[in-house]
Amino acid sequence: MTVQVTTGSSNRPAITIKLASTSDELMQCYMLRAAVFIGEQACPYWEEYDGNDYSASHLMLYVDGEPAASMRVRWFAGFAKLERAVILKRYRSYGLFIPFVHWAKEFCRKKGYPKAYLHGQKRLWPIFEKDGFRKVDDKVFHFSDHEYGAFACDLDVGENAPTVTTDPMVLNRPEDKLDMPGILEESMERGASNPHAGWTERRAT
Amino acid sequence: MNTTNSIGGQPVTIKLAMKMEDSLQAFAVRAACFIGEQDIPYSEEFDGNDFGATHIIAYLGEEPVGAVRLRWFQSFAMPERLAVMQRFRGNAIGELLIERCRQLAESRGARMLYTQALPRDIKYLEKHGWRRVDAGDTGKGPKRVVAMTRPVDPNQPLADADAPDAVTVRNESQVDATGLPLGSNRG
Repeated sequence: MTVQVTTGSSNRPAITIKLASTSDELMQCYMLRAAVFIGEQACPYWEEYDGNDYSASHLMLYVDGEPAASMRVRWFAGFAKLERAVILKRYRSYGLFIPFVHWAKEFCRKKGYPKAYLHGQKRLWPIFEKDGFRKVDDKVFHFSDHEYGAFACDLDVGENAPTVTTDPMVLNRPEDKLDMPGILEESMERGASNPHAGWTERRAT
Repeated sequence: MNTTNSIGGQPVTIKLAMKMEDSLQAFAVRAACFIGEQDIPYSEEFDGNDFGATHIIAYLGEEPVGAVRLRWFQSFAMPERLAVMQRFRGNAIGELLIERCRQLAESRGARMLYTQALPRDIKYLEKHGWRRVDAGDTGKGPKRVVAMTRPVDPNQPLADADAPDAVTVRNESQVDATGLPLGSNRG
């Protein structure tokens, strides 16, 4: 979903948010994190790339087509965990964070997750609280040199949340475009020729 | 095939990128230094030439701390995008990376290394055997660069005529589009 977040006059930068869906976009996401976490915050490489990147969804935000911010979402049973959120230094005055977190929450909600969860750096707590997140308890913990608290925000999934009885072709759609027909729905025009049926029969005999 | 010394008891290792993960480490070091530290836009840093080049990475223990990209031309090899993480500078990691470039170029029969340097780095490079191609700068404004060369074998100095004409900063598809190196149409 290429979504225009900003409105107004045309000389404002065009902000686009989407799910990273190609290796190029994934690469952009990883490089933004390297720039901010490894370059600016001196995070060690192996802490930044912790092994969870290949079981997560990655969100990308572009300013006039240039990669500007990214976020990683991991999927647990009852909640989605937002993490590794970065905005490149040169874009930090653009007010991107709140619209980006909103987009992420909306993404989780449409996938049927009733709760978004995150570990907030202590200095950012007021921002998360303003954005509807509440601390889950009083604990403060630390990793990679920063102090964190766990926050959660309830999401109103409504009746359209995907379930096992949802139209199967809706579940096959690209995950950031669950409300629009996807490429596999186009493939339905080709009909069902069942090209491997013969092979299965041979194996059965 | 590793060059080794050590910093604070941790070994410094140089290796060629051979796998996806290796390349990502080289890219991450460059993103940290060029995008994070020097504020270069992503699309300039990752310019389309990364998949026709050789990437060399420096590790301190397990940690990727430096990288250089080596591009191959018919008459020279071109080390560029040399990066060492800020907190590990001053340990000659850059020199190890360039030396690995030189060895690799030698093993492939190349006779010349060519690079483009920022004016502030010229003195440093001259100390390490690089010479300016000509006295003139190849560009204007804050991003002007100076073309420099170095013989692959220090015992076989380059004839002046060997120096390539200016610049190869364009990405390769653009070089191919004209069939001429950028700069050859200078008046």
